[in-house]
Amino acid sequence: MTPLIQAQGLSLRYGAKQALDDLSFTVAPGRVVGLLGHNGAGKTSLMKALVGLQAAQGQLSVLGLTPGQDRVALLEQLAYIPDVAILPGWARVSQLITLVAGQHPRFSAERARALIRRTSVGLEDKVKNLSKGMVVQVHLALVAAIDARLMILDEPTLGLDVLSRKAFYELLLDEWCDGERSVLISTHQIEEIETLLSDVLMLNEGRLVLSLSLEDIDRRFVALGHDPTAADAVAAAHPLLRYRTPGGSAALFDGAPPPEVAALGQRLRPSLVDLFVALTRRPEINRNQGL
Amino acid sequence: MQAWHQQLPIYQQLADRLAARLLDGELTEGAPMPSVRALASGYMLNPLTVSRALQALDADGLLEHRRGLGLFVRPGARDRLRAAARSRFLATEWPALRERLRRLGINPQDLDWTP
Repeated sequence: MTPLIQAQGLSLRYGAKQALDDLSFTVAPGRVVGLLGHNGAGKTSLMKALVGLQAAQGQLSVLGLTPGQDRVALLEQLAYIPDVAILPGWARVSQLITLVAGQHPRFSAERARALIRRTSVGLEDKVKNLSKGMVVQVHLALVAAIDARLMILDEPTLGLDVLSRKAFYELLLDEWCDGERSVLISTHQIEEIETLLSDVLMLNEGRLVLSLSLEDIDRRFVALGHDPTAADAVAAAHPLLRYRTPGGSAALFDGAPPPEVAALGQRLRPSLVDLFVALTRRPEINRNQGL
Repeated sequence: MQAWHQQLPIYQQLADRLAARLLDGELTEGAPMPSVRALASGYMLNPLTVSRALQALDADGLLEHRRGLGLFVRPGARDRLRAAARSRFLATEWPALRERLRRLGINPQDLDWTP
């Protein structure tokens, strides 16, 4: 399968700030890829580079096109919701559908209406009368009605309550993820999105610190739950991170810990949040330090 | 959102939950299994995770493929599940429970057997 995205040595600099630093990764068809990073880590810059809205150095191919050169053609072939997306408040949902149908050659008004009917939004509702969660669902329905193989969502659920976030992800899973199309989605809500993902791209200060499938994460990283009395022996084996669990203490290792250390505890499924903390250490968020 | 514990892989936990639904009769024998998409959005899981759970149930002989129709609950699946759950209880859970009852001095007549 040809990858939908291929990046090799991708870099982006704003003046003195290195926003993206030598990123190389691929996104295959049929994946749900989480783009994770702190504020300012480069998530939005990367997404803009992928859709050709921001020039970057290095090799980049998206849907077989070069974003910097083929921006118009590319934007017609992917579904993109930027972090600053706004729908006009005066418009009715049905008017938005007509509007997009007139602008976008691969948009299906019929499918958009079918997707809207799955939500609690009415076609004649005005955007300004909808809750924030409903507006985001309308936006998703609009971009999911584009005949595309790649969707790029920049912090789509930011500021939504838990029920709206759930409704958003249900719509995404049910109506977009068909095993062929892929979605790249940036978010801070790692715990919530973890089980939806097939792959993770983790950015820290412009560098890609992890690009791996969830399956390979489970294979490569080992979390070891252990009794507090074993803490010293576990610490001596140099884990990436030590943290508390409901049942006691745990440590995260890159690769299998030595057998005598592994014997001190029970192997746990490594959580993405702990991995994120371990790989993007910043003192203010190392919530479980100081054991 | 769904809570998944860290002791087992998520696909295994989903397989266990689906097996419990089968035991409860909520998924009936001979009936079609819910689709991967429906399960993915219902449990908020990646479709690949759902497929792995279904593969695990299939490997345990609980499902059958019908050409062009998809996955169905295999007739006899409940009996098969119950037999597996029974032998697991008798082999591993009961000895621990018996030990605990003995330590607490609880006799069969102390227990409430009314359903």
